[in-house]
Amino acid sequence: MWSLSDPAIGFWLPMALICLGTGFWLTDRKDPRKRLSVPILLISIVFIVVYGVETRGMDTAETALLAVLLHMLGPVALMAIGSLIATFSGPSPVGPLPRGLRPLGFMMAMGGLLWIGWMLISKPPDAIAHGIGETIWGSWVDVFLTILILVAALAGSFCVMMGEERHKEALTLAILTIAGGVMFNEIMQNGSEGLAAAGWHQIHWEEMMFLIGGLMGVTAGVFAFIALVYMAEKRAPDPDVIAPLSEEEKAVVDAVLRLNLELEEVE
Amino acid sequence: MSEEKDAWWGPVALLMLLIGFSMDLLVWQLSGGTEFSLILDRVLLGFTLAFGLTTLALLLVSLGAVHRHVRWHEQMIGLTLLAGLGLSLTNWQIGGSIDAMFDEGVILLSGITAMMAAVGLVFGLLLALVTGREHTPDPLLEMDSTHGDVSLELEE
Repeated sequence: MWSLSDPAIGFWLPMALICLGTGFWLTDRKDPRKRLSVPILLISIVFIVVYGVETRGMDTAETALLAVLLHMLGPVALMAIGSLIATFSGPSPVGPLPRGLRPLGFMMAMGGLLWIGWMLISKPPDAIAHGIGETIWGSWVDVFLTILILVAALAGSFCVMMGEERHKEALTLAILTIAGGVMFNEIMQNGSEGLAAAGWHQIHWEEMMFLIGGLMGVTAGVFAFIALVYMAEKRAPDPDVIAPLSEEEKAVVDAVLRLNLELEEVE
Repeated sequence: MSEEKDAWWGPVALLMLLIGFSMDLLVWQLSGGTEFSLILDRVLLGFTLAFGLTTLALLLVSLGAVHRHVRWHEQMIGLTLLAGLGLSLTNWQIGGSIDAMFDEGVILLSGITAMMAAVGLVFGLLLALVTGREHTPDPLLEMDSTHGDVSLELEE
């Protein structure tokens, strides 16, 4: 019996439908499939939400992932909205928001960051505190901190390399790298609420290495796709030679050009 | 950027490598080490699963977007074979358990969302900081368009 509480139906099928819906969305706007893309995406989201509600409290990996994403939705949204407000209320020519909102934007972004920092070292909710949920939550935190440290260092050093006295930007990103490094060191040295240091070490060696391989796999998959498209296009036959215009077609082109030139002269 | 700064990516890539290596060394020292075979197994498992899932996702996107001008044979058959290869290798690595494959797939999705959140945070903040810079007014932006009506006075 098919049930939405089965992860294959309630979680992985919507994931496949989202991919299919994305394909529909990429079609030409006159194509009827284009109109199907939004309903398919909405149905997929409804399936996932119903799956999450029906399996709430169960120790399954998919439910734990949804719990982690729900847990992080607030601070990530706060940071994203804060960054957008700060960007569009700055002196940039595309800034349509009032300049007074800029400090609020930065406060929201920093607030989201501090919220995440607090969540990383406080006891997680029950849904992600035991079993597979703990592993998934631990992997999320480990990857988040690692990427935060690496990308902030990359962006900061890029600012320094670019010159033009981007010291404020470089300094802010350096603070982010150091704060991430301190948190990483803390959880690896002393553990966190509900997860001992040995648990973090295991997550780092097993899940982090798995995800490094995963990143390489995603990159290889995308390159394989590009290679297939390249091969297909390379094998495509040359387009047929177009016959020159007939006298009748030339007359039509001539008439269109004359009409447009006359219109321009009138203007 | 000046010519001396063109090779900026070299030292920056080295810095990234150094930081990543230092983080692993820290965990190595605190945990007392681990077996290299375990690390290699996990990296290989992650590679094959991510490769299989990515090609499967791209196959579904391609199926959804297929149209009469596209040369779909190579794309569809190639992606089906690659997805089958990646997922079969993963299945073989984890002893034929489909449930374990689903669990590992979830961990992969968890890692990808964490990565996207971290990258989005850093670049969002960088964008907000960079757009806050005050620039001297550009006289070109103050000029009005002549809509192509240009007259030139040539010196004889």
